[in-house]
Amino acid sequence: MNDGVQTDSASVDIAMADIGRLEDVVDREALRDVCRSFFELFSLSVRVFSASGALLADVHEDQPIHAYLRQFARGRQALAQTVAEVTKADVRGRAPQRRVELTGAVYDIVPLDYQGRAVGRIVIGPYLPAEVREVPRQLLKLDPNIDPERVRDLLAQMPRVRKSTAERIVAHLTGILKLLLFSSHRAHLTSEMHLASVRENYRELAEKNAKLQAAYDRLKELDRLKSNFLATVSHELRTPLTSIIGYSEMLESGIAGELNAEQLEFVQTIHAKGDQLLALITSLLDLSKLEQGVMSIRSETIDPRALVDDIARTFAPAARKKGIELRTRVDEELPPIEGDPIRLKQVLSNLAENALKFTPAGGQVFFEAHAADFEEESDTEMGAVFFSSPRPAVAFVVRDTGIGMPAAELDKIFDAFYQVDGSSTREHGGTGLGLSIVKRLVDAHGGRIEVSSEIGKGTTFRVLIPSPE
Amino acid sequence: MQIDFKSRELTVKLVYYGPALSGKTTNLQAIHRLVSNETAGRLMTLETRDDRTLFFDLLPLTFNSGGGIQVRFKLFTVPGQVIHNATRRLVLQGADGTAFIADSQTSETRANREAFLNMQQNLRDNGIEPETHPVVIQFNKRDLPNIRSDAELDRMATRSKEPIYKAVALRGEGVIDTFLGLTDLTWRRLEAKHSLQEKFGLDPDEFLRDVRRRLGLGDGGTP
Repeated sequence: MNDGVQTDSASVDIAMADIGRLEDVVDREALRDVCRSFFELFSLSVRVFSASGALLADVHEDQPIHAYLRQFARGRQALAQTVAEVTKADVRGRAPQRRVELTGAVYDIVPLDYQGRAVGRIVIGPYLPAEVREVPRQLLKLDPNIDPERVRDLLAQMPRVRKSTAERIVAHLTGILKLLLFSSHRAHLTSEMHLASVRENYRELAEKNAKLQAAYDRLKELDRLKSNFLATVSHELRTPLTSIIGYSEMLESGIAGELNAEQLEFVQTIHAKGDQLLALITSLLDLSKLEQGVMSIRSETIDPRALVDDIARTFAPAARKKGIELRTRVDEELPPIEGDPIRLKQVLSNLAENALKFTPAGGQVFFEAHAADFEEESDTEMGAVFFSSPRPAVAFVVRDTGIGMPAAELDKIFDAFYQVDGSSTREHGGTGLGLSIVKRLVDAHGGRIEVSSEIGKGTTFRVLIPSPE
Repeated sequence: MQIDFKSRELTVKLVYYGPALSGKTTNLQAIHRLVSNETAGRLMTLETRDDRTLFFDLLPLTFNSGGGIQVRFKLFTVPGQVIHNATRRLVLQGADGTAFIADSQTSETRANREAFLNMQQNLRDNGIEPETHPVVIQFNKRDLPNIRSDAELDRMATRSKEPIYKAVALRGEGVIDTFLGLTDLTWRRLEAKHSLQEKFGLDPDEFLRDVRRRLGLGDGGTP
C-alpha cells in the first residue's frame, strides 16, 4: 500500500491516477485562450492561480479609476492591500469568497476542485455589482484632493454585472476549466499508462529471457558433462578390452598350446568381436574429443597422390573379395595442402569403407584427387564480393556405383548415430558414428565435405582441403 | 491509501477486477448514474478499442466528512482481456480493496476462476497479501438464462470467505450494495491498520452511515 503523502514531482501519479500540480497538467496557452474569450464576452478580468499560488492565466484590463486613485498615497495603499488579500486568499475546500475594494468593486475568488482535491482558484474582477449605485463615501473621504466628479465618471467605466449573472458566469467558467483539466488529465494518464505498460511488458520479457538463458546455460553444462563422461568411460572401456584382444590373439597363435578347430573358431570370434568393440569405442572417443575441441590435429605437408594410393592399396583386398573394381585418378598439378596425414587417412578410409559396403558386386569405386577452388561459406549474400576470395584446394573424391541415398537424407547423414535406414546397421554393420567423425575431422582441417547421391546410381563424397592462406 | 496530513485528505483506491466482459465498466457507469454529481466526479474512460477497456476506467467519489476531512474514493476498472495482464498489474498497484465482478453464466465458470487466480497473483506481485486484502464478489448478469441459480449462489455464500452480491449492473441493480459492501470491508481494514478514528476523529460507523446517506440510502436498508 502506498501510505505516504504524494511528494514526487511527477505530473500524474499512476497508482492513484491523480494530477500533481495544475501547472503541470493543463496547457497554459489553452487556459489563457479560454480566459480571453470570457473577457471578450463579458469584459470581466479573469485570473487563474494554481494551488501553490502560481499565476497560470491573467487576462485583465487596467481600470482608469485605479490609475487615478494610485496618485494618492492612501489610495495606492488601499488598492495594494485588496490585491494582496485576493492573491493570498485560501479557499481550499471552502465556498467562494468575495473581496470588496474601496471603490465598491468586488473580486470573486472561486475554488477550483478536481476529483475532490483543491487544485487552484479562479479570480474574477474587479467589477461593480449592478446593485451598487452610489460612490462609496469613504472613497471620497480618502483624500481632500479627490475630485468627486472625476471619480463618478471613472467609476462609470468599470464593468457592471448583476450578482446572479456573475454567479452564472463563474459557474460556466469553472465548468469549462474543469473540462479542460479533465481532458488534459486523461491525455496525461493515457500516455503515462502507455509508457508504464511498455515498461511492465519489457520487465516481464526480460525476466523470461533470464530464465531461458539460465536453462540454456544449464543444458550446455550438461552437454559438456556428457562429453566428459563419454570420454572417460570410453577410455576406461578400452583398457580391459585391449587385454581381451591381446590374450585371444595369443590363444589364436597357439602360444598356450594347440587349439582344435572348434576352439580356434571360438577364439577367432572373440578376437573379431573384440576388434569391432574397440573400433566403436575409439570412434566414440574421437567424437567426444572432437566435440570438446581437444583433438590435436598435426599440420604437415600432405602428398595427395601418396594418400590416394595408400587408400587404394589398403582396400584392394576387400574390393577383390567382394568383386568390386577399384580405380584411382590424381591430377598432375595440385596445390600444396597441409594437414594431419593420419586423420586424413581416417577420413578417406571411412568413406572408402562405406563405398565398398554399399556397392554390390560388379560395381565400381573411385578414389580421386583434383585441383579445386575453396570458397568460405557465408550466411549472407550481401557484399559477398568483398568477402569471398576463393582459395586453391585439393578435392578428394570417393565415388561409388552403389545403392545411393534419398536426397532428403543427405543433410542428416553427418549427425552422430544417424543411419539412413535404421535397419542398415544390422545389415551392413557400423555404428552410425563414422560420418559424423569424418565431418568433424574435415572441419578441424578448415575444409568442407559435400555429398551428392542418386538412388540406385551411387554416391559421391567430396572432401575439400584448402591450401594454407 | 494515501494520507495527506497537511491537506487533511484521505484517498482510498478500490479496484473492480474480473474476467473479460463481466461488467466492470458497467458497474462504474451505474454508480456514476445513481450517485449525485456532488459526490461523483466525471467518469473517465482511458482508451478503448471496440468498446473494450484497454487501460482503465476511473470514477472519483468525494465525501466531506466531519472534522474537515476530505475522503476521496477512486474506483478503477482493469482491462479483463487476458493479454492485458501487465496493465492489470499496474492498475492493481496500491489497491485498498477489490470488487471481483464475476459473470453468472455457467459457461463463464472457468473464466471466473482464472481471473480470480490471476487477481491473487497480481496482488502478490504488487506486494499485497491476498488473504488479508478486502475482496467482495459480485455475480453479475442475473437476468440472463443459463446462469448459476440463486440457490447455488446462496449455498456458496455460506461457505465463502468473501461477501457475495448479486447484480444486474446494466439496470443498476446490486451495484450500490456491492460498492457499499466493499467500502465497509475496506474501511474497517484501513481503520484497523491506520487508526483513522484516533488520528482524524473519523468514527467508522459514523463515516459509513454518512456514505450511505450520500448515496441516497437511509441509515440502513436498500434504496
